[in-house]
Amino acid sequence: MSGMDKAHINNMVGPIMRQGALAKAVFEAAEVDNPGKKILMEDKVAYVRIQTEDEMVLRQETIEEMLGKPFKLNQLEVDMASFAGRIETKAGQIRFYFAKHL
Amino acid sequence: MATLERMDWYDIARTTNWTPKYVQEDELFPPELSGTMGIPLEKWESYDEPFKQTYPEYVKVQREKDAGAYSVKAALERAKIYENADPGWRSVLKAHYGAIARQEYQASQAEARMARFGKAPGQRNMATLGMMDEIRHGQIQLFFPHEHVSKDRQFDWAHKAMDTNEWAAIAARHMFDDIFAARNATEIGLMLTFAFETGFTNMQFLGLAADAAEAGDWTFSSLISSIQTDESRHAQIGGPLIPILVANGRKAEAQKLIDIALWRSWKLFSVLTGPMMDYYTPLEHRKQSFKEFMQEWIVTQFERSLLDLGLEKPWYWDHLLDEIDWQHHGMHLGVWFWRPTVWWDPAAGVSPEERAWLEEKYPGWNATWGKCWDVITENVVEGRMEQTYPETLPVVCNMCQLPVNATPGPAWRVRDVPHMHNGRVYHFCSEGCKWVFEQEPSRYQGHLSLVDRFLAGMIQPMDLGGALTYMGLAPGEIGDDAHKYAWADAARAEHLKKAS
Repeated sequence: MSGMDKAHINNMVGPIMRQGALAKAVFEAAEVDNPGKKILMEDKVAYVRIQTEDEMVLRQETIEEMLGKPFKLNQLEVDMASFAGRIETKAGQIRFYFAKHL
Repeated sequence: MATLERMDWYDIARTTNWTPKYVQEDELFPPELSGTMGIPLEKWESYDEPFKQTYPEYVKVQREKDAGAYSVKAALERAKIYENADPGWRSVLKAHYGAIARQEYQASQAEARMARFGKAPGQRNMATLGMMDEIRHGQIQLFFPHEHVSKDRQFDWAHKAMDTNEWAAIAARHMFDDIFAARNATEIGLMLTFAFETGFTNMQFLGLAADAAEAGDWTFSSLISSIQTDESRHAQIGGPLIPILVANGRKAEAQKLIDIALWRSWKLFSVLTGPMMDYYTPLEHRKQSFKEFMQEWIVTQFERSLLDLGLEKPWYWDHLLDEIDWQHHGMHLGVWFWRPTVWWDPAAGVSPEERAWLEEKYPGWNATWGKCWDVITENVVEGRMEQTYPETLPVVCNMCQLPVNATPGPAWRVRDVPHMHNGRVYHFCSEGCKWVFEQEPSRYQGHLSLVDRFLAGMIQPMDLGGALTYMGLAPGEIGDDAHKYAWADAARAEHLKKAS
């Protein structure tokens, strides 16, 4: 079954972005906002999975810096087609997380 | 003028419950529409939507999304992508639009029911936006295929399919009616937004977008991935209901509703998405196999979320993992064999190169499904075309409405799961479909499958012609092999070589 029966046992969280400039900025911001964590980017041409273990924080100002222009967090939705884990929206930041580590 | 940050006023603005004085609470929120489950109003008020959006933000963001999708379409209209597309890819588009576009309006009505009858203010707010999302999805997925109608009548089925008694349309309606059109606000939250939208729409709208991008169809890729950005927000309506139900002793009900919706979605997508990804999409453009997309989106992502929210794996989880290996191969074989009964041209997808890919992705394919295709290929090569068409009807499942089938060959696994209820024998394809029926027989017992209707004499004359008329399929619309049997050319050449 090529690991299918164990595939749900994982702790990967993070946004799945449509390809484009915002996806790139989000990946770069994820590396800055989550120091010490390995951020993975999986390119599926139409979309990219930006993921890490257990928790990922994205700050508005970091994405702005990477984009080089003003950006509001709710604009993330324009290209965020899905996400792994649970989401929490707060002033100035979005967090992806799992409540339980498997 | 200084304005407050959204999070400084959001909670106050969406706290819209009040104590009714002129009517009873149950008149304001009838339990059969709200899905109250005996849980008091104040408990629902603990609902906290994790993905927050306000109306002004919504309008701005949606405008930006539409500008993107429509400008990609406009920019590529002259690139003749559609005209130059492989016929198999065109079939992907036809099947997708016909099965999905009109159901988006049904989804909009379901969201509207949550927007009015949901007892949690946060649920109502998010569902108001979700309702408008689904109108967008209906309109845009009717507008995009419309430009092709003048070139190919089958595209008319984007709008027409759901008004017909075509068998795949019956199957789609039966499933979508069950998981959202005929459900209350709580059930819709769990079944449509949680189970269906955080699960299967990801696979259809992002998995297929990946194949579309590989195939160079950026119009379709951009369209469906843009749609999914709405889903990623409003699919979060269901999640916060789960802790409320669990905390109030309704975990078993929540689990059951999600399990029903997930199983039913699986069966429909095994006939819709499976053939698209593993047979219709040109070989060189296949990003991943259907099984790999199922693993990525349903097993690795959806199932993991389910566990995090305090629910369990469905009881049928092992059955589902098993079926992911084979169910869609049988669905594909059936759709191709009964090809006059669909509104698209199925691509057989069994040239020698494609068969090698199938064997690699699904070890054992050649020894099982391949044997069936050997016979079909031989009939095509020998010119015995009448033997490549059906003379009889398949046994159809009384739940998913799809042909009962399983892996052929030495390990013959075809099974019928019959069930007697009120003097009528119902036939099911699987323990999963039978289990769904048993949860609420009164909900399903009156429905007649297409085969039941045939046997009841409702389809006249009782032959393929009568069936096509009943299904609304006119000449020029009925399906045929997408590549005019070119996939058999290699076998034909081999055959000629032997003969000479």
